[in-house]
Amino acid sequence: MGTASYQDRIVTAFTACAMFWAVLGMLAGVYVAAELVWPTINFGQPALSFGRVRTLHTTLVLFGFGVSALIGTAFYSVQRTSHVRLFAPGLAWFVFYAWQLAIVLGGCSILAGWNSGKEYAELEWPFDLAIAVAWVAFAIVFFGTIARRRMESIYISNWFYGALIIVVAMLHIVNSLAMPATLGKSYSLFAGAQDAVVQWWYGHNAVGFLLTGGFLGMLYYFLPKHAEQPIWSYRLSIVSFWAFVYTYIWAGPHHLHYHAIPEWVQSLGMVMSLILLAPSWATMVNGIMTVSAASQKLRTDPALKFIVLSLAFYGLATFEGPMLAIKSVNVFSHFTEWTIGHVHSGALGWNALITFGTFYFLVPRLAGVPLYSARLANVHFWLALAGVMLYVLAMWGAGVSQGVLWLSLDELGEVRFSFNDVMAAMKPYYLLRFVAGLVFLVGAMLMAVNLARTFAGRRTIEVAPPGSRVGAGGRT
Amino acid sequence: MAARFSILDLGKVLFRPGAVFAALAAESPPVTRVFFGFALWVGLLPPVFACIGTLNFGWRLGVEPVFLPRDTVFAISAAYFVALLFGFLSSAVVARWMAVTYDASQSLGRCFALMTIVGAPLAVGSVIHLYPHVFINVLVLVPALIWSMYLLYRGLPIVLRTGPNRGMLMASALIAYLLVAAVSLLGVTVALWGSGLGPRIGT
Repeated sequence: MGTASYQDRIVTAFTACAMFWAVLGMLAGVYVAAELVWPTINFGQPALSFGRVRTLHTTLVLFGFGVSALIGTAFYSVQRTSHVRLFAPGLAWFVFYAWQLAIVLGGCSILAGWNSGKEYAELEWPFDLAIAVAWVAFAIVFFGTIARRRMESIYISNWFYGALIIVVAMLHIVNSLAMPATLGKSYSLFAGAQDAVVQWWYGHNAVGFLLTGGFLGMLYYFLPKHAEQPIWSYRLSIVSFWAFVYTYIWAGPHHLHYHAIPEWVQSLGMVMSLILLAPSWATMVNGIMTVSAASQKLRTDPALKFIVLSLAFYGLATFEGPMLAIKSVNVFSHFTEWTIGHVHSGALGWNALITFGTFYFLVPRLAGVPLYSARLANVHFWLALAGVMLYVLAMWGAGVSQGVLWLSLDELGEVRFSFNDVMAAMKPYYLLRFVAGLVFLVGAMLMAVNLARTFAGRRTIEVAPPGSRVGAGGRT
Repeated sequence: MAARFSILDLGKVLFRPGAVFAALAAESPPVTRVFFGFALWVGLLPPVFACIGTLNFGWRLGVEPVFLPRDTVFAISAAYFVALLFGFLSSAVVARWMAVTYDASQSLGRCFALMTIVGAPLAVGSVIHLYPHVFINVLVLVPALIWSMYLLYRGLPIVLRTGPNRGMLMASALIAYLLVAAVSLLGVTVALWGSGLGPRIGT
């Protein structure tokens, strides 16, 4: 222990795969957005139908891009905050290959029509088992590294990454309990309303602990490193962590307002969603105040801009979520495009931008050379901002229009506009959404090229834990 | 120039903002002058255009137009004006509050003037409310919004006399506030609507 450099090759591998899945997943998203405008471009092929490619899109961006980025950055930061190398590096490489294989084969199975019918958990039982094994291996490597740490305290980013690992394991295993019928088909152990409650307990907490908690772990390590400033208030970060963990787990029923579940469960979900605003915004304030002390770095560092902007969208998404959970708002917004806009203000504005900022910081350090083109990164910043703003505005317009039209009644008190009428009215917004997605995708592709060119000129960099004997290496 | 910052300067604000920024940086205008001489009139444009458009063409949501009773249109337009006024005042006060953190000028007059300038392209773009087709409004107001954001990022460091880097950070923090304010307006509107305080369509 402590006699060799940190294991960063695996971080590089996860980063490269995350970028690959980001481009592919967003491409799938743009394609299904185009299908909503020009339905015939599926050419009558089942594998290209909206239901399959949309599921492929969410699987690739959530689990391919998002989780690969989270595991890679967790492995990078846990070594540096614990002052030791990764525990069981062979197992860490197993996590890498198992996860990427699950995404490749799982993606193919979705296109082939395998689908468990559970949103964001569509992969069938063989993949559920493989994911559970890989996730437990991830937990062993991560917590094993923390157990061997040479620091007394456990840094706040590791609390968030740890919560991600524990809660996602719990959610995935419980929600995936099923009776296999064939290799490609299983039936959930839960039925009816119980199945719905379990599904949204999973679905909302996957948003909470993966898309929020996990990426907050990323923020709490990389923002202070990037800004070269300590966290504005470490105490606030601890308080917000525990408030976040306690509150989030209750919020799932707000996905089931006015459904066949007890009303008190719906109200509980609504109240807990509103309380959730406090810890969410505590983190936003902590991030903004940390970065405000490092303004001089903005001149030379395009990556910091991504992180600043991601905090603005984090603020929006974590305010909009509790607001949409209020029953009197939800009665209007539920099932409309407003929800899709909300998800993407979080997924594009917060998750993607914080990851982009982190990768622009991380890759030059992994490669041992400056970023290939800061100018290209600046172009990417404006494309990303334009893309996400256009997306959100298009979906706000679409959602409010849908809500008004659906709630319109005629003189007899009947629904005034048919489903077809409302769908036809959505076409211009869908076109705008397609353009927004395309703009965001082009930005991500520029980034992929920029990072690939950066890595092409790499030097071997080996950073050793403090107190060990091996230092930096030379050019390859 | 700053001392007589008024609605007559609208053209300069839109097409020669650099000169306006420099004048405001040199001299802080009185709050009352900015509000009664400029902001109030700019803020009146969207509700007036919306009122005229709704009465003449009805709301166009992509299907047949929705006409509302005359009293309802007046009430909604008045509520729109109050919401815009609240958004403007709260944004200026929030900007002044943030100025402490970002080492910027805490002059309330400058904050009022800055928010007036930022809102000007949107207010002028709201002329499209005269034909209240939602999608056409989105198409026109998105470029207006981009112009507003450009004025915010470019103007804030000059008007509030802080460095370009701190200005960029403060502008981003203000964007976060404005996004939240915008989505709050949507949420409050539909919550009121859902509780029966909105217009009843088709009944």
